Amino acid sequence: MSEDDFRQRAIPVIKGNKFEDFIEDQVFEHHWGRTITDGDNTGFSTQTLSFNPLYFNEPYAQSMGHDKMVVNPLLVFNTTFGMSVEDLSEGGGLFLGVDDCEFIEPMHVGDTLTARSTVIKKRISKSNKTAGIVTWRTQGYNQHGTLVIQFLRTNFVRFRDPSTATEASS
Amino acid sequence: MSLTGNNNYFDNFEVGQVMKHVRGKTMCENDNVGITLQVLNTADAHFNEEAVKDSFGKRLQFGGVTISMIIGLTMQDTGENAIRELGLNKIRLKSSVFHGDTLFAYSEVLATKEVDSQSGEITFKHWGVNQNDDIVFEGERRVLIKRKIA
Repeated sequence: MSEDDFRQRAIPVIKGNKFEDFIEDQVFEHHWGRTITDGDNTGFSTQTLSFNPLYFNEPYAQSMGHDKMVVNPLLVFNTTFGMSVEDLSEGGGLFLGVDDCEFIEPMHVGDTLTARSTVIKKRISKSNKTAGIVTWRTQGYNQHGTLVIQFLRTNFVRFRDPSTATEASS
Repeated sequence: MSLTGNNNYFDNFEVGQVMKHVRGKTMCENDNVGITLQVLNTADAHFNEEAVKDSFGKRLQFGGVTISMIIGLTMQDTGENAIRELGLNKIRLKSSVFHGDTLFAYSEVLATKEVDSQSGEITFKHWGVNQNDDIVFEGERRVLIKRKIA
């Protein structure tokens, strides 16, 4: 490859944060937002065998008091989670678990979800020298600004500098 | 006409009852890559084979897909007559899932609570296992379910 080849000249456009970047109580307003369509909801619900007709039978949803089909709460969870990934966990590290997930308000097809997160806690793991553990509270809102979901998520998050593991514990 | 089953109302569940859900699901590229990107999850360990060559060796299934698929596998038996899903707790991803793995689900009824004449709340514990019987998922779920109208 010659020096003026595009691959030699290219600079990576880095995404995501590392362990050192998170500060307790820091808030992230996440990107994009997502309108949940009929296709999203019916596709997701049937693909995951989520067989409650509230999610894919409109007259049934109406008979249960809804104007439109209800968005599968696990799609609300996954989409809220998904929009948080670039800010929180794209820097690398395994997803460990979720606690205190509350489905606060039902969403309906056509509603739009946005997400924000707060850093709750960060700590060094005794067993992992390449990543620490971070817990965030992630919240999803509909287009009216109503909180529809919140949960605590915990991940391994890679260190930018491996010496962070020893510095923080000394 | 009844669109939903008759044996999964609030009144049908008893504390201590454990169910093996009979259907399994083999995880396809379409499930993991499709849902990961559908929900705007940008972590490319789930969809870029080159990115994980030296770590997992192959694309890792997004944990949100595992959670959804296990709860989905339980849904006809535990939530077909649900009025609302209330929440999840103590969700743990115990081992990694890859394309081609087959998942199965189990549930235990942890608690039942009458809410009113129309509905009651059930707390389930769910487990997900793979084709080798390794536990890949465990967690709790609260659901508001219709009562049987006599």
